[in-house]
Amino acid sequence: MDLFLQLVANGLVLGAFYALSALGLTLVFGLMRVVNFAHGELYVIGGLFGWALTAVFGWNYFLALVVVVIVLGILGYLIDQILIARVRGQGEEPTILLTIGLSIFIANTALLIVGTTPVTVASPFASKPLILGPVVITQARLLLVVICAVLIAAANLLIQKTTLGRAMRATFQDPMAAQLVGIRTPRIYGFTFALGATLAGAAGMLLGSIYVVEASTGGIISLKAFVVVILGGMGSFAGAVAGGLILGLTEALWGGYVSTGYVDAIGFALVIVTLLVRPYGLFSRRAERA
Amino acid sequence: MKFERNFLLAAVALAALVPLAAYNEYALHIGIMIMFSVMLATSLNLIVGYVGEFPLGHTAFFGIGAYSAALLSARLGLPIYFTIPLAGIVAAISGLAIGAVTLRLRGPFFVIVTLCFAEVLRLVANNWIDLTNGPMGVSGIAKPPSIAGASGVQQKLWFYYAGLVLAAASLLVSYRFVYSNIGRAAVAVRENRFVAQSIGIWPFYLGLITFVLAAAVGGLAGGFYAHYISYVGPEVFGFSFMITMIIMVLAGGKGTLAGPVVGAVLVVFLEEYLRDFKDLRFSIFGLIVVGVVIFLPRGLMGFIGRRHESYERRPAESAKGGVKRDRRAPALEPAGLNRGGAADA
Repeated sequence: MDLFLQLVANGLVLGAFYALSALGLTLVFGLMRVVNFAHGELYVIGGLFGWALTAVFGWNYFLALVVVVIVLGILGYLIDQILIARVRGQGEEPTILLTIGLSIFIANTALLIVGTTPVTVASPFASKPLILGPVVITQARLLLVVICAVLIAAANLLIQKTTLGRAMRATFQDPMAAQLVGIRTPRIYGFTFALGATLAGAAGMLLGSIYVVEASTGGIISLKAFVVVILGGMGSFAGAVAGGLILGLTEALWGGYVSTGYVDAIGFALVIVTLLVRPYGLFSRRAERA
Repeated sequence: MKFERNFLLAAVALAALVPLAAYNEYALHIGIMIMFSVMLATSLNLIVGYVGEFPLGHTAFFGIGAYSAALLSARLGLPIYFTIPLAGIVAAISGLAIGAVTLRLRGPFFVIVTLCFAEVLRLVANNWIDLTNGPMGVSGIAKPPSIAGASGVQQKLWFYYAGLVLAAASLLVSYRFVYSNIGRAAVAVRENRFVAQSIGIWPFYLGLITFVLAAAVGGLAGGFYAHYISYVGPEVFGFSFMITMIIMVLAGGKGTLAGPVVGAVLVVFLEEYLRDFKDLRFSIFGLIVVGVVIFLPRGLMGFIGRRHESYERRPAESAKGGVKRDRRAPALEPAGLNRGGAADA
């Protein structure tokens, strides 16, 4: 029983981290419908940049986080306006190829600059273990879960309550109607992608203080993020959280009780089954045809 | 159609004569890689170009073919003449199974679900150590006995012609398929699914047939690869083969049979040329992909084909060309959305 509780706790923490790393993709893929294979690379850029600022230049962690957020936002805006805007409205295929090309470029350029050594973001969070009955969690992880929840809530408020969020939703529902009522849709696309890149980068830096950051992990992070978004349903933050938690729990329990070898395959198997049984995701209300 | 047939015949004839001019190990190795790439590109192009979906896990079939040939040869001792066709058959059967599942989905969902299949297969190849020998892979796959004692260059020559035969067979089958009633129906589905359905075409069935054919060609390529390299590891399911395949089809021009052939030749030479740049070459490769998507959206053959067509049809279309273009880009469409029209103009 103790093992079970510990595994569930691990799974929930892992799930929260999956949800965090998939937040940006929920916006970009779920809402904007850009199949962004460079998502994981944006996450890696955030992590590496955070490492460079905190560990190499010795900046304050939170100052570095703000800088990472701003830089990733600008980078995302530029990627959208310079590259993705050119293939907008041509279906998903050119976008997929474009982002794959971008991810190859970013991953290998990062490898050239940083090398293959895994690095860690220097963080102020204590890694002292907290003992809650039979369950042990480090303080840093618990704190990150809280930050994670705050970020998800903030992103959700932004999309649901603000003018910018409303403009975003209008643009992705019907671009022409949105333009008719005076929304500058090209900018909205840029802002949404920038927000997605920001969230990816912030996740990279936050999780980079617990796990390691490697230039070559972007592909796996993209894949897991896609798994989370599809499990939870397109474009809903609550769905992303649910998808992340499902993935985290299943992986932790499977790894604990069955075998560690196939842990990574669980998510993909779940996606295959989900897309067959409920093609619009487990929690999506929209009966959208996949 | 005629242009394509003549182009392909000329390419095969030319390829058959190449060893006369360049009879050395390095040139033949490049030639073998081209034959192998042509098979891969043709296989992917059948789905991308004629079903109109984008299977990002197409390495599944290449990998299944490679592992089938490797295991049949290493464990059961079957000769190469059986293993390569059997690799195609095993891949086709798995294509039937995977296609029956994945073709229910479309667009981004199809992309992701096929990728999931390839990843699951990669993990199985990595973890099912009793069958696949895990990350160590299957090595020592036998070369055909007839060239066992031959010198390096003679072995390469044998593989070059074997590759040529397989590539030509793949192209022939694809050609017959694409210009059959089924192939035309598939093009109808690709162009407009709903119109095609309204005249009695069943998209799922057509997609499945194409999928199985593409899987078989991919499996053949895998079997050929296994015997030539004589080693197969889990990386055959990896993303790098997928990226090469995509670039070949994309740069050459999807939806034409000649395009992937041109793309395969281009990419193999490009990879050899970029070798000089060492680690930088992958970054350059990424930039080339981005550049091709933006500046050459229909690939090289699409570009040439369009020039060809517009030259032939110019007298008939010159009068109404402007009108057509205006209709396609109504004034109300957002500025960011009609960039695609520019490629068609």
